[in-house]
Amino acid sequence: MKTDRRPLVLISPALLWLFGLMVVPCLLILVVAFFRRGVYGGIEYTWTLENIALVFDPLYFGIFMKSAAIAGLAAGIACVLGYAAAYAIASMPRRHQPMLLFFAVLPFWSNYLVRSYAWIVLLNREGLIANLARWIGFDGELPKMLYTEPAVVIGLIYNYLPFVILSCYAPLSRLNPEIAEASRDLGASAWTTFRRITLPRTVVGIATGFVFVFVLSIGNFVTPALLGGGQFQMIGNLVYAQFLTANDWPFGAALSMVLIIIMLGLLLLQAVITERASGGKAYTDG
Amino acid sequence: MERHTLMADRNTYRLMLLIIGIVFAFLYIPISVLVALSFNEGGLPTAWTGFSVKWYGALWQNDEILQAARNTLFVAIFSTILSTILGSLLAVGVEIRRRNGKWLETIIFAPMIIPDIVLAIALLSFFSLLGVKMGLHTIIVSHVVFNLAFVCAVVRARLKNFDWAIVEASADLGASTITTLIRVILPVLMPAVLAGALLAFTLSVDEFIIAFFTAGAGRSSITLPMQIYAMIRFGVTPEINALATLVMAVSVVALALSQRLNRGGLPGQ
Amino acid sequence: MTYPLLSIQQVEKHFGNVSAVSGVTLDVQENEFFALLGASGSGKTTLLRMLAGFEALTAGDILLEGTSIAQLPPNRRPVNLMFQSYALFPHMNVAKNIAYGLEMDKLPKQEINAEVEKILDVVQLTQLAKRKPEQLSGGQRQRVALARALIKRPKVLLLDEPLGALDKKLRSDMQLELKRLQHEFGITFIMVTHDQEEALVMADRIAIMQDGGLLQVGTPNDIYERPQTRFAADFIGVMNFLPVTLSGDTLQAANGITITSTQTIDLPNGSAAVAAIRPERLHVDTQLDNNLAGDVVNIAYHGLDLLLHIKTTLSDKPIISRMTADVAERHCPTIGQQINLGWSAKDTRIFPA
Repeated sequence: MKTDRRPLVLISPALLWLFGLMVVPCLLILVVAFFRRGVYGGIEYTWTLENIALVFDPLYFGIFMKSAAIAGLAAGIACVLGYAAAYAIASMPRRHQPMLLFFAVLPFWSNYLVRSYAWIVLLNREGLIANLARWIGFDGELPKMLYTEPAVVIGLIYNYLPFVILSCYAPLSRLNPEIAEASRDLGASAWTTFRRITLPRTVVGIATGFVFVFVLSIGNFVTPALLGGGQFQMIGNLVYAQFLTANDWPFGAALSMVLIIIMLGLLLLQAVITERASGGKAYTDG
Repeated sequence: MERHTLMADRNTYRLMLLIIGIVFAFLYIPISVLVALSFNEGGLPTAWTGFSVKWYGALWQNDEILQAARNTLFVAIFSTILSTILGSLLAVGVEIRRRNGKWLETIIFAPMIIPDIVLAIALLSFFSLLGVKMGLHTIIVSHVVFNLAFVCAVVRARLKNFDWAIVEASADLGASTITTLIRVILPVLMPAVLAGALLAFTLSVDEFIIAFFTAGAGRSSITLPMQIYAMIRFGVTPEINALATLVMAVSVVALALSQRLNRGGLPGQ
Repeated sequence: MTYPLLSIQQVEKHFGNVSAVSGVTLDVQENEFFALLGASGSGKTTLLRMLAGFEALTAGDILLEGTSIAQLPPNRRPVNLMFQSYALFPHMNVAKNIAYGLEMDKLPKQEINAEVEKILDVVQLTQLAKRKPEQLSGGQRQRVALARALIKRPKVLLLDEPLGALDKKLRSDMQLELKRLQHEFGITFIMVTHDQEEALVMADRIAIMQDGGLLQVGTPNDIYERPQTRFAADFIGVMNFLPVTLSGDTLQAANGITITSTQTIDLPNGSAAVAAIRPERLHVDTQLDNNLAGDVVNIAYHGLDLLLHIKTTLSDKPIISRMTADVAERHCPTIGQQINLGWSAKDTRIFPA
């Protein structure tokens, strides 16, 4: 029909762009992962599974596990903090909530590198925390803070916390207060009401926040490089090294492929959870 | 009585205030310290030696930083123009169709959630295999990938509250499709298009990973975030506090502006 | 030979496997105020949108003064639509909204301004010419939408639920206002509505639509007094239905009660049917062709009139009788009171069960 062709003219330029510069390059990674590395770097076009096998070599697989552990830790802490903050914001008077939310998310808008750098300033041996400790009279040897694993975890939490606050606030703000009131009216304590009513209806926000922080953290290479100081590797750094220093593209592609599969799998899972949860949406709309 | 979303008696209310206080302190102390430090005469966190803007002045003298800033602006402007056009058209087209397949929605949504590192690696191998010489132009086309998705999302959000009957009303009153696009659709969408463009601009200015991977070798195509990264990793100088503060200010102002633009919404919204 | 102004011929519309409009044939005369009445999903809006040109016909044709317009895009049809949401351009003020259609016709600017001023006066919006739609009340928006469509002097003005967005009080004012404007402009109006009262009050002729087809076309009087189907009888106004069995020339109701009707129905003896009587045809304490006793179970005030709900042995649902204020004053009905109802044979309609 004539009227249906017009939208195609509008959407096809953008779709072509996304296809050529997103879909094809991503598919390319999948293909390159199955080629052999050339003698002088580059690619030799013979099929192999060696790269995939190498990913599961204890040396590299260990890095995977380590990255996952750090990402999981960061995501977990971020969710606890983020949910608490979102809950606190949602329990403030309605007219103050938009402003509180705005300021909770504001740091998220500033540059990622700058936010990471801010922690270098704090954690540095000559940094603010060290100075503060000395100022209040602590003159023993301070533990090393910058370039450690906790520094990386803190950096990741700091960078992604606003996101968790947002994702937790969304379902909390949609809660119909009368449902919780009904629970109290029927004799439940505040804590029971939270555990049996509020939490189950808003757990979706936590799941969303967790998945996103985890996915963004496990592939992160900036924070480990800046706050970990290259002392230990996360998977993002490993991938980066394969492409830009070791020149082993097929292995880099294989690593990326596994990483992408983990990430997309989790994102898909999250999408399914959200879709499930939105089944009872009519109820939550207050 | 003031309506609360969640019940809170006096004590829990205090607890909530405390939580907000702690989280906001966690969020704001690091960047506040950074901003304060950028005005510290001595430039070091060890001691406050007096207020000064000399580090901002030093930025102005630094050719590397100026070059990086010019590159960033160049990339941001062109990727914004391209992505605003593509993203807005996409949004209108997709919303007219209404019934869009799952794959279409996925492909439009994907650039916003694909981790930067994935896109960066994919584009790097793609350009390398094709033998494309990398530089600012490859950064621009790469930035358009995610920027157009964000512009599209902003414009679509506006279109959700868009009364499509006004498009039909325009046709009914005798306007051709082009006339309707120019005289009705575009003016109504303009705030959203501008908000989307500002968002794209900010994202592009701030973006590091994809630029880092697709910039190619050499100093000539270094952007500001790449410059900051290099400065943090290889020798922190007090200048960087000033630079970081500036970059932060620019993105916050641009995004606040973008929000503001998009809020003066449609009637009855 | 003269043509009807608008002739809808065997029009069909299918969306995939779903048939929204099937085989509608209808003529609308010049200067007529015509109403398409139906529940949602009856196809009335689809039919209206086909007249405006927003939906392509699956089959059939639409002729305007004898010439087919079915293939013309909406912007080339001498037909205008007043949208249900009014669809005012939010970024243009009232005057700009109204001028838009004439600008599309490439009329000289002065002429446009003069026309806009004239019509602003007619719809009493002169004071608000510079306002944006968001600064107007619902009733004012409605008049802007009307002016914007009328200014093009269309051969036919289509109105999609024109009063749907207004509150009840404003609605009855606008009903008369619309009729006045239709008269003044001498333009044929075709209105879509789901509100039977609105259709009865405003239209010269009404087409009742159901499941994409025409159920009955006629004047308000035809439709109200002589509904052709049980659906139409039920849909328009209030109607009492009593289950009966055909027996010879009479109708056998429950408990051996016989009901008479002047209407005959082509059904074999012994078939089930329903007798239908309007509430205002049931007279209290009056001996007529048909008589019936029952208990008052509820009394509802409807303005000046009372609606009595009367439980009888003839149907599960109470029978509703309308009593005017002066009759009510004489009878003073109370709940629980036994009451006798009478009605004439000519007021009994019969439908197949």
